[in-house]
Amino acid sequence: MAQTGSLVHFHGHQYLRQRLVLSILSGKSVRVDKIRSDDKNPGLRDYEISLLRLLEKVTNGTVIEISVTGTAILLKPGIIAGGSVSHDCPLSRSVGYFLEPLIMLAPFAKKPFQLTLRGITTDDNDLSADLIRTVTLPHLQLFGISDGLELRIKKRGAPPEGGGEVQFLCPIVKQVKTLNFVEPGKIKRIRGIAHAVRVNPQFSNRMIDASRSVLNRYIPDIYLYSDVYKGEESGKSPGYALSILAESTTSVIHCSEAVSKPGVTPEEIALTATHALLSEIRQGGCVDRKHQNLVLLMMILGSEDVGRCRMGEPSVRTIQFLRDIKSFFGISFKIVPAEPSEPSSTELLFSCYGAGYINVNRSLA
Amino acid sequence: MDNQIHKTHRPAQSGNKAEKKGKGKQQQGFNEKAFAPKSGRRAERQGRRNVERDQTRLHVPLVNRTPDDAPPPVIVAIVGPPGVGKTTLLKSLIRRYAKQTLHEVKGPVTVVSGKKRRLTFIECNNDINSMIDIGKVADLVLLMIDGSYGFEMETFEFLNILQSHGFPKVIGILSHLDLIKKKAMLSATKKALKKRFWTEIYQGAKLFYLSGVLNGRYPDTEILNLSRFISVMKFRPLVFRNSHPYLLADRVEDLTPRETVRISKGKCDRTVTLYGYLRGTNLRSSTKVHVPGVGDIDMKSITILGDPCPLPDADSEKRRKLSEKKKLLVHAPMSDIGGVVYDKDAVWINVPGSFTRGNTDVYQGEGEQMVMGLQDVGATLEDTVAQSKIRLFGSSSNHLTVDNVPKRTSESQILEESGSEEDEEDEDDGADQDFEFDDEDHEGIDEEDEEFDLRSDVNSSDERSEEATGGHRLDGGRPTVRRISRPTRDLLPKSTQHNSIVEYADSDSDIGYSDQDHPDNWEGQVVYPDNDHVHNIPSDDEEDEEAPTWKNDLSVKALATFQSHSKRKARKDWISLIYSSNLTPEQIVNENAANESPANDPVDDFFHIRTAVFANDDDLDMTKEAISQDALKEWEDDVLLESIRNLFITGERVVPEDSHKNEYEDSEGGDYEDLEAGFDPPAEDPRSKSAEVLAAKKEMLKRKFDEQYDDPEDTKMDFYDEKKDEINRQLQLNRAEFDGIDSEARALVEGYRPGSYVRIELDNVPCEMIENFDASYPIIVGGLLPAEERFGYIQVRIKRHRWFARTLKTNDPLIFSLGWRRFQSVPIYSLDDHSIRMRMLKYTPEHMHCYATFYGPVALPNTGFCAFNSLNGETAAFRVSATGVVLDIDRSVQIVKKIKLTGVPFKIFKNTAFIKDMFNSALEVAKFEGANVKTVSGIRGQIKKALAKPDGAFRATFEDKVLMSDIIFLRAWYSIQPRKFYNPVTSLLLSDKSRWAGMRLTGQIRRDEGLKTPLNVNSHYKPVERAARRFNSLKVPKKLQAALPYASKPKLMKPQGKQTYMQKRAVVLEPEEKKAIALLQQIRALRKDQLSRRKEKQHERKEVHRKKVEKDEVKKNEKDKEKRKDYMRVAGIKSKRDTDLEEGNSRKRRRT
Repeated sequence: MAQTGSLVHFHGHQYLRQRLVLSILSGKSVRVDKIRSDDKNPGLRDYEISLLRLLEKVTNGTVIEISVTGTAILLKPGIIAGGSVSHDCPLSRSVGYFLEPLIMLAPFAKKPFQLTLRGITTDDNDLSADLIRTVTLPHLQLFGISDGLELRIKKRGAPPEGGGEVQFLCPIVKQVKTLNFVEPGKIKRIRGIAHAVRVNPQFSNRMIDASRSVLNRYIPDIYLYSDVYKGEESGKSPGYALSILAESTTSVIHCSEAVSKPGVTPEEIALTATHALLSEIRQGGCVDRKHQNLVLLMMILGSEDVGRCRMGEPSVRTIQFLRDIKSFFGISFKIVPAEPSEPSSTELLFSCYGAGYINVNRSLA
Repeated sequence: MDNQIHKTHRPAQSGNKAEKKGKGKQQQGFNEKAFAPKSGRRAERQGRRNVERDQTRLHVPLVNRTPDDAPPPVIVAIVGPPGVGKTTLLKSLIRRYAKQTLHEVKGPVTVVSGKKRRLTFIECNNDINSMIDIGKVADLVLLMIDGSYGFEMETFEFLNILQSHGFPKVIGILSHLDLIKKKAMLSATKKALKKRFWTEIYQGAKLFYLSGVLNGRYPDTEILNLSRFISVMKFRPLVFRNSHPYLLADRVEDLTPRETVRISKGKCDRTVTLYGYLRGTNLRSSTKVHVPGVGDIDMKSITILGDPCPLPDADSEKRRKLSEKKKLLVHAPMSDIGGVVYDKDAVWINVPGSFTRGNTDVYQGEGEQMVMGLQDVGATLEDTVAQSKIRLFGSSSNHLTVDNVPKRTSESQILEESGSEEDEEDEDDGADQDFEFDDEDHEGIDEEDEEFDLRSDVNSSDERSEEATGGHRLDGGRPTVRRISRPTRDLLPKSTQHNSIVEYADSDSDIGYSDQDHPDNWEGQVVYPDNDHVHNIPSDDEEDEEAPTWKNDLSVKALATFQSHSKRKARKDWISLIYSSNLTPEQIVNENAANESPANDPVDDFFHIRTAVFANDDDLDMTKEAISQDALKEWEDDVLLESIRNLFITGERVVPEDSHKNEYEDSEGGDYEDLEAGFDPPAEDPRSKSAEVLAAKKEMLKRKFDEQYDDPEDTKMDFYDEKKDEINRQLQLNRAEFDGIDSEARALVEGYRPGSYVRIELDNVPCEMIENFDASYPIIVGGLLPAEERFGYIQVRIKRHRWFARTLKTNDPLIFSLGWRRFQSVPIYSLDDHSIRMRMLKYTPEHMHCYATFYGPVALPNTGFCAFNSLNGETAAFRVSATGVVLDIDRSVQIVKKIKLTGVPFKIFKNTAFIKDMFNSALEVAKFEGANVKTVSGIRGQIKKALAKPDGAFRATFEDKVLMSDIIFLRAWYSIQPRKFYNPVTSLLLSDKSRWAGMRLTGQIRRDEGLKTPLNVNSHYKPVERAARRFNSLKVPKKLQAALPYASKPKLMKPQGKQTYMQKRAVVLEPEEKKAIALLQQIRALRKDQLSRRKEKQHERKEVHRKKVEKDEVKKNEKDKEKRKDYMRVAGIKSKRDTDLEEGNSRKRRRT
C-alpha cells in the first residue's frame, strides 16, 4: 500500500503501548528501535509480542515488521476494525496491560468491540479488571462514550497461573465530546471491591474492616463489597486484592488498589490501598493519576474546540505521553496552574485545542 | 404600454356608500377581533400552521469556526462561459469598492467592503479544473449567464460540481440583455431563464439583470445594487470547509536559489511560498497540505504576516478622512495595481507616461514614484554606503517612507534624526503598505542570516546580558523588517484597544512581568524578539532549559535567566519543561535529578557503567506506579488524615468551595507547612478575602432562590436553542482560553487561526508549477486531516448523472473530485445482494444508486464527490458523469462476482452420477465437498466425494436421475479487488492546463494506435447446430399388454386400407344441370373481361393526371428555390452586419 504517511521514530522499549496506540490513531507509521539492545536478553518480551499480535487482530491492514534480533519494530497502521476478537494474554502481564491501549482505540473502530481476554485479571503492574470497570470506563463516559460500554469479569485469575477471563464491550462514536472538567468537587462516596480467590473468603472481610477503620472518619457513604468467585470462575491461583475508589460531587473519581503479596496480611494490603487512595485524593485534580493519559488523549481527539481539564501534577508517563502526542498529532497543551493565586496548590489546568478527530473508520453503509 | 393611463377610482359622493363612510368600524382603529379565528377548528389549523412555519426556520445547528472579530475575506467567484462579461463585472465591482480601475485583473483581488467584511473576488476561467477548485472554496458565486444566448453546458456542469461539494450561495447574473431588442422578447427570455435558474438552485434564488456596458463597465446603479446584495449576504458554514483549513493563494513566490535552478536547467524541485488568508479551521504546522492540481506537499513553515488589506478600525478611519488622496484598499498582487505587477520571479513596474519628472497630469502609482525616486540619486553608491542607506531613501518621495519602520529598527540613532515629522507621515500611510511588504521580505531574510552569524559568535551569557540591557537594538534589524506597525497590531490578541503599546503591556503584565524598557514610540515592534527566540531554541540547548517559549520577551528572558541562576522557581513551568527541554520525564518529575546532569546520551564516554540501563530494565511500561510503603507511612499520622477532611463533603460546608482551602490553611497553617516542605501561604488581605467570600455566598444564595422560585417552564429552552447555546458557549470558551497568550505560543497550541494572512513555505514543489504558472488558474492550499493522508479502498454510493450519455463500466478509469483532490482511479461497481454479499456489477444501473469501490486517498465518510470521464475542454457533451457520497473506508474489500463451474456426467447410476471436467484435482474437489450443484434442466444435487480415477472427477447425488447429455454446474463466488491505481490530476503543472490526460481506455489506445481488437476464437458467436433428437417408440410387451386393464392398454389401430363409399362413388350430371353450369361459366367470363377493360381505362386516366401533377411539382419547386435564395441572401447580409458589429466591440464569441 502506498503509504504517504510520515514516519515517527523512537528509541527504547519504554512507553511502547502508548506509541503504538498513537500511531494507529494518527495513522502515522512508527518505528521503534534499540529495544533492550543493551540487555542480556535483548529484544521484545513475550507480552509485547502478544500485544502486537492483538493489535494486528483488531485492525485491518496493519503491517508489523520486527527485525531479526527483535530489537526494532516498524508498525504501519491500518484501520481499527473491531468486532469480536478473543486473545490469550501471556502470564507475564495482566489483561490490564492489553486492555488499556485497546480502550483508547475501541471508540474509533469500524464495528463495536467485543473483546475477550484471558489471563491474569489483577496484578501489581497494571490496572486490574476491577479498576478498569469501575474507574476507566466512567472516564470514557466523560467523552460521550457510554451506551453499551461494559467490562464483564467472567472469571478471575490471580498471578502466577491466571485463568481469568474478561469481556470488553465498547460502542463506536463519530466524535468524542469536548471535555470541560475543572470543578473537582468534594468526595461524596467511597466504593470498593475486595476479592479473594482460592483463599479463605474471610480475607476479603478482613480487608474491608481494615480499610473502613481509616475511611470511616470521613464520610458515612462507604460501601466496600466483597466479591466472591467460586470454583471454575476463580482461576488457577490463590490471591486477593482490594480496589477502592472515591467519587466526588462532580463525579471525579480517584482510585487505588493493592494486591496480595506473600507474607503480607490482608489488613496491611487494605491499609496500603486506603493510604494510596488518600494520597491520590490529596493530589487533587479532576482526573485520577493513572488515567491522565486516557483523558488527555481523548481531549485532543475532540472536536476543534478548547477542552479543559484540571489535574494533579503529571506523572512520568504522562509527560512522555504529552511529548508523544506532540510528535504524532502536533498538538501541545497549555498547562497553567489551576489556581494561580495560591502558590501551594500543585493542581494544573490542562487545556488544548482538539484535533477535530473524526472516526473515519465508521461506515455509513 | 407603460404610459397607458388607467381610469382612476372616484369615490362615491352620495348614496349609501358615501353615508356609510366615515362611520362604522374604520374609525375605531385596529380591531383585534378581525384576525381572531372564528371557529375552534380554524384556530387549531392556524396554530398548527404557525408552528409548522416556525419549524422551517430551524436548521441543524452548525459550529462556525471562523472568528467573528476578524473573519477572512469572503471569496466571491465570478463564473460563467467565456464572452459573458466576467471580467467586465469584476472590473466594475472593483471600481465600486476600491474606486480604481484595474487594467488587467489576474488572480484574486481583495477589497474592503464594509466595517466587518472584506471580499476576495476571483474570476473563474472556462477550464473545468478551475471550476472544480473554485467550487470548493467560493463562499459566494456570481454565476453569469448570457441572456441573449441562454444557459450553456458549463453552467450546468458548474452547478453540479457545486452540489456535490457543498452548495455555496449563488447569485445568478444575466448579462447581454441589451442585445435583445424586442421588449416582449426580453421579458419572455428573462422569465424563461429565471424559471430554469430557479429549478437548478431553489425557488426564489436571486437573479440579477445587467443591461449594457458603459465605458467598459456595467452601469453603476446596477453594480451598486449588486454590491448591496453581496454585502448583506449571510453564509451558512459548510461542513467540509468547517473541518479543513484552506487558503486561496493570492501570491506565489519561488524561493529556490537561482544558482540551483541554473545548474539543473530549471528542472530542480522548487521551494515556493504561497500567500493568502487562512480560512476554515485552524491550520497547524504539522498538517500536510494538498494543492489541487499539484499534489500533496509538506509545509516547511508558516508565518503570520501583517494583514495587507485590514478591516477598518477607528484609527484607520480617522486617518482616512484626513488624507484626501487616500484610496480605498485593494490587495491584488497578481494584477497591475498601482502599476506594479508581481510576476513569478520579477516585479514589473508599469509606467503609463514616461519617466519625465514633473509629469503631474498622469497619475503616478507607487511603482513609478519609486523608480523616479531612484533616478534622484544624487550621490554614488559608495557615498551612500559610507553615509547610510537611509539617506538614499530619505531623499525619495513620501510614499516610500513606509520603509522607515525597519530603518528605524536597524539604526536607532537615525530614528532620532529623522524626527517626528516622518513619524506622522508614517502613520498616515499605514493602510497603503501592502506592496512594500515583499521587498522588505527579502531584505528581512538576508538580514536575518547576518544576524545569525553575529549571534553565534557572541558568547551566550554575554548575549543574555546584552539582551537584558539593550536587547531591542540587537534584535531590531531582523524579521521586524518584514512587518510594519499596522499589521503587527493585528497580531496582538486584543485589537479592540486603541493603543498597541498599552495592549502589549497588558499581555505582559498578565504573565507577570513589567516592561520597563520599552520606549514609547516603538509601537508593535516588541513582538519580534519572540520570533528570534523561537528560531534560536533548537540551536542551543543551554538556553532552552531556562527560557520558556511562551514568555518570550527579552526582559522576561533575562529575568528567567537570573532566576534560574539564583534559585529554582517556586512553580514549574510545565509547558517549557515538557515541550522544549531535553530532560527526561523522570528528571522533570524529580527536580533534583534534573539539576545533576542531563547526560543521558549513550555516546558519552567510552567506558560507561550502564546503571541507567539496568534501571530501565525494571521499567515494565506500567500504568500503576509502584506504591512505596515509606511514602504511605505518613498517613498513619492522625493530623495528616484530618488535613484532607476538607476534600470530603463532610468538611466545612458553609464556605463556598473556592475559598474553602484558604480558610483551612489559615486556621491550620502550621501543620500544613510541616508537611509540604516549608511552604508559606501568602499573607492575603483578610478583609478583601472575607468580602469575596461574602459575595460568593450571596451569589450562591441567589442562585438557590432563583432555582426554587423561578418558573421552570420559563427558563427551559427547547432542544434547538439549547444546542445553539451550547455551541456559543464553547465558542466563547475557545476565544477566551488563549486570549492572553502571544501569537507564537498560541500558534503552537491552537494552530494558525482563520482570518490571518499567512505565508506558507512549501518544499519540493515540482518545477513545472512555477515554470508553467498562470495567474488565471486558482491555487488553493487545502489542509488535510491526518486520516486523509492515507490511502485505502473507498466505498462510495454513486449514481450516474442522468445527463451523462453513456453508462459507466467497471474497471474503466474515472476522474474523481473528492475532498480537495482530483484524481483518476479505477472503480468497481457493485450492489448489495440481499445483504449477503456485495456483488459486482459490470455497468452502473440506470436511474439508481449503486456502490463503487476504488483505491485512493481516504476521505471522511459523508463527503460528497463528483466524477468525470474526461476533463477535456473539447468534450461537447455534459462532462459530470457521476455524483455520490463516501460511505466507508477500508483496507480490503469484499466484492464478489459470480462464477459457474461446469462439468459433465460420465457415469450415471440411479440418482448418483460421476462428474468430470469440473475440477482438476482431488484437492479442489475436497474444497467443494457438500456444495450444491444443479443441472441445466434444474435437477439439484450435492458434491459427495472425489473419485480416484480421472483427476478432479467426483461423485455427486441428485434429487432425480440425470442424463448423460446434462451439463452440471456449480455456482460459486469469486472475490475481486479493485486495482490499486491512483493518478492525481496534475493540471497545474501543465503548460496547457486544460489538456490533462489520464489513463486511456483500452479501446481508446487501440483507436489511437490503430490496433485491431484481438479476437478470441472461443468468444465467437456461431449458429448453434442442434441435432434433432429422436425418440424410440414405446413398446409394451405383449404379455404386459394382455395383463393391462382396457383403459391402460395402448390403443393402436392400422390405417384403413379400403376406400370409403364417398371416395369410390361416381357422379353423373343431368342435362339441365349441365346447361346451368355452362351459363354460369359464360357469365363469369364476361364479367372478367369487363373488369379488365375498366381497369385499363382507369389507368389511362391516372396516367394523364400524374403527368399533370408532376408538372405542377416542378413549378412549385422552382418557386420554393427562389424563395429560399431570397431569404438566405437577406440572412447573410444580416449576419455579416452582426459580425462586423461584434468585431467592432471586440467581443469574443464562443464556439457554436
